[in-house]
Amino acid sequence: MIHKQLRDAELDATVVRALSRLPSHAPTRGFADRVMARVQLPQPSPVVLYRRARAWAAQPRHALALASGYAAAALIAMAFVVPWLLAHLPAIGFTAEWAAGRASGAARQGLLTLAQWVTSSGAADRFQSLSLSGGRLWLAISALTLGYAGCAAGLHYFLRTPRGKDVPVQLPL
Amino acid sequence: MPTAKDLQSLSDQEVVALARAGAESAYRELVRRYERPVFSLIYRMVRDHALAEDLAQDAFVKVLNALDSYRAEYKFSSWIFKIANNVAIDQLRRRELDTLSLDGSPDARTQEQIEATALQATDRAETPLAELEARELGAAIEEAIAKLRPEYRSCIMLRHVEGRSYEEIAEALDLPLGTVKTYIHRARHELREYLAHLRG
Repeated sequence: MIHKQLRDAELDATVVRALSRLPSHAPTRGFADRVMARVQLPQPSPVVLYRRARAWAAQPRHALALASGYAAAALIAMAFVVPWLLAHLPAIGFTAEWAAGRASGAARQGLLTLAQWVTSSGAADRFQSLSLSGGRLWLAISALTLGYAGCAAGLHYFLRTPRGKDVPVQLPL
Repeated sequence: MPTAKDLQSLSDQEVVALARAGAESAYRELVRRYERPVFSLIYRMVRDHALAEDLAQDAFVKVLNALDSYRAEYKFSSWIFKIANNVAIDQLRRRELDTLSLDGSPDARTQEQIEATALQATDRAETPLAELEARELGAAIEEAIAKLRPEYRSCIMLRHVEGRSYEEIAEALDLPLGTVKTYIHRARHELREYLAHLRG
């Protein structure tokens, strides 16, 4: 029994060794050309151009160049903007105050216009006369819930992580 | 577009991304990387060089024309081996190639071709010990592989010749992990038996 097991183990090792040493066969010369003659390369289109730009940017050297360019542009911009801001602080403060005043005035005006419309159009009376009891109340709640759920599903679909062919290639930089 | 030298340092996924962006050099790089393993796998399945070359070509054309449907979360090698294996299995089924046949390749036309492609160890009882001694172990293994069932053959080739993991083989061949392990275990058992028999 032990003798057989030893013999099997020895044979198994021989088999594995022999398998790992098997030569790999190669097709004849020009194989790649024959394959390429039958392959349809993607035609230029917005999708292909987008992928091309993405693939270009995904290469480490290009990604590094892009990142460096971006950082340099940000530094140069800050080198100009920060001294300018410091030199014009009072003017900037005055402008910000003026813009905030205009914005709050516009908001107040908008609210007043809305209130006038509600009063003059009779919408307030209609809302008051609306009976939201029993079945109607449940209907309204259900419609609102469904609406919210639909919006949430749509938002989830829109923001979900891309999968499959749209997954960007992750490159170690 | 990147040169062939640039492409060599990139991963499969990166090369695929470039190919999908229309870079012909990326297509060629994929062929260069996988022509030998794919051809070897198919060749050991069908045991006919010309047929294996046609099938390997078909496999590559299918893969490269369908790069858009490739899902990046899977290994590219699994995908290409899956298609290559399917192409070979389809061919075996279509031609009803009896993989246990000792009558040589089905594509052999002349007597010389039949003899050249026929398995030599046709009759185990009559195989002399001297024959084994005269042969390379590799040749004996090649013959033994040819006798395996196609599904065992794909598994053992991918595992021990191509060095793929069990998980990758399961993914490539659409088989449960346990089945892959069983197939490999049985294939090794059959190869062992074959070698033991040759040794007498």
